[in-house]
Amino acid sequence: MKRCILGIGLMVFIALVGLAASGKVTLLYMTAGDINMLALAQNVLGPMFSERYPEVELRTVHTGPGDAGSQLIFEKLRAEKLSGKETWDVDVAMVHQIFMSWAMAEGDLLLQYAQDLSTWQYVTSPHAKYALGTPVEGYVMPMFHSQVAIAYNPKYVPEPPRSYEELVEWVKAHPGKFGYNGIKGGMSGVAFVVGWVYWKTGKYEKYAITGPYDEAEVASWEPIFKELKEFNKYVTITAGNVGTLDALNRGEIWMGPVWVDMFYTFMLTGKMDPNIRLVLPEPGLPGQPMYFVIPKKAKNIEWAKKFVEFVTSPEIQAKVIVEKYNWYPGIDGTYIKDYVSPEAYARLYRDITPEELRTKGLSFALSKYHTAILEAYEKWTIGG
Amino acid sequence: MRSGQSEGKKERGGASALLPFLLLLPAVTFVLFLYLYPLVASIIRSFTVSGESYSLANYSKAWALYKRDIIFTIEVAILGTLLSTVLGIALACYVRLSRSFVARFVNSVSRLAIFLPYVIVGQMMRSFLAPHGFLNVMLANIGIVDLNSPIQFFNIKGLLLGFLWKEVPFISFLLLSALQVINDCYLEAARSVGAKTRHVVMHILIPMIKPAIMIAGVLTFCTIVSTFTLPYMLVTESPTMVTVDIAHRVTYFRDYGVANALGVVLYLLATPMAVYYLRRTVREAIYGY
Repeated sequence: MKRCILGIGLMVFIALVGLAASGKVTLLYMTAGDINMLALAQNVLGPMFSERYPEVELRTVHTGPGDAGSQLIFEKLRAEKLSGKETWDVDVAMVHQIFMSWAMAEGDLLLQYAQDLSTWQYVTSPHAKYALGTPVEGYVMPMFHSQVAIAYNPKYVPEPPRSYEELVEWVKAHPGKFGYNGIKGGMSGVAFVVGWVYWKTGKYEKYAITGPYDEAEVASWEPIFKELKEFNKYVTITAGNVGTLDALNRGEIWMGPVWVDMFYTFMLTGKMDPNIRLVLPEPGLPGQPMYFVIPKKAKNIEWAKKFVEFVTSPEIQAKVIVEKYNWYPGIDGTYIKDYVSPEAYARLYRDITPEELRTKGLSFALSKYHTAILEAYEKWTIGG
Repeated sequence: MRSGQSEGKKERGGASALLPFLLLLPAVTFVLFLYLYPLVASIIRSFTVSGESYSLANYSKAWALYKRDIIFTIEVAILGTLLSTVLGIALACYVRLSRSFVARFVNSVSRLAIFLPYVIVGQMMRSFLAPHGFLNVMLANIGIVDLNSPIQFFNIKGLLLGFLWKEVPFISFLLLSALQVINDCYLEAARSVGAKTRHVVMHILIPMIKPAIMIAGVLTFCTIVSTFTLPYMLVTESPTMVTVDIAHRVTYFRDYGVANALGVVLYLLATPMAVYYLRRTVREAIYGY
């Protein structure tokens, strides 16, 4: 861990020294997430931003996928706070929802900046107010929203299940043809399990929005996870997020939960059978945004705000976030309609309408429930 | 004259008393900081619960959640080591005894595997062994497998195949260098009194390279126990290997306590091997056998 932070510190240092010489303003951007987040910043957003503002250059430091990537950013900011420095190295960062619960609990790490942006008016997502139950309004701007949905092959599944109940029936009638990646191979599998808990308990509000955390709830889940264990006997467990997509494409499975953005990206690059469709069954599946945050004592606060404003503008949201990366926009979808090509808009909202997304696009559970769900799965579904 | 001599001796004595330690200092510091410190720190942290208090809580949680994975890891490590050692010996003896073009070809092609990292092997095996992957489709074409219920390889079978693919060439590479130094006259002598190939292998070659076999086995065992990428990419069902659980604890829970406890379990698995290896190399250095 410490070595990782040291490594990142070194990268930051090199990035800063490199730019000090050129006389331009260096905007240091730290991003968590998969490798595509690095490519997005380095190859797309950075050059576009510099084209508009030639006096600024974006330097990107990538910290890696999953919560661990966000954790490194958290550790870095906390170290800067504890150091008592007047200005901090990182100007702007891209983080997962879980980061917000750590950062807000730590306190004094982030700037409340979002209301100052001209693009704040376009943000309607509930995720901009609460991140896994933590109030974050003003501290975050969502860059995009990614959603998990069930992909199915209409050749074998003419009538896809519209709810978890129907799905379970279908799976029992077609053993081995539904696949997901468990909980150790990526978040699409985790999302399916979290959705299972919401369905079985009917307590989405308590687990994902209001809280509070209650140990007794967790103890009551044993039968739910035992049922999931029974259900798993009829499914194929795939090797990761990509494993599910590959298995769908090869026809090994006919149905499985996938990240919508990965799904469309696979399709656009010819790695996915173009006939495969998506469905969001009742009561819904979780998705998550990724957020821009600005550290409290960032060196270039004004430029950082301009950068976030730039990326959350309807134009960039349409051209980059939707058309290039197949994410749902971070701002309200209605504002991007004028900028996005009709095909891209139709593609993104063909199977899952914006209304469906509003009602069935759920949040992941509050961090303590989330941990409890994962451990319950290990204990009762794959263990003992 | 006399006194001058003794003075000179004294000086040399002072310098030579310190010199070995000075020469050793960089290496020792390096080992202490980069190996011993993390090792000790991880052991201490495996007993630490939420900052300060010491207890066995991490271990009991690790055992409760991952005991099947620990047993699975031991199974894979033992089976993988035994199988790849046997096959590695067979390959090395074949290359040593045969003078054919095929033997040389097999030898050089198999070397490739040594240089490929496990992540590449994992990706390769993922498409090769998938339910509708190359292997199953090939077997289906010759009528051995029904594609509607293909052979499932994303479990211990595929994992062992992946390990064998990479470790057999490594072992044969190590053993071949030991086999090359055996003088042909032993083999010719045995053959002249009627020994068949299997006799030559069992009674001459293998006994003469026994130390090398043991070392190769030890190295393979430790590699299998500590490999993360291959099980992470290949094994989808539970149980899986402990390294995957360690990553899971850290990535999803930021739980370094249980992760370190699982790490200590892996150290314990590797310790007998390390002790054996160390004794062997020290003995070799001192007594030459």
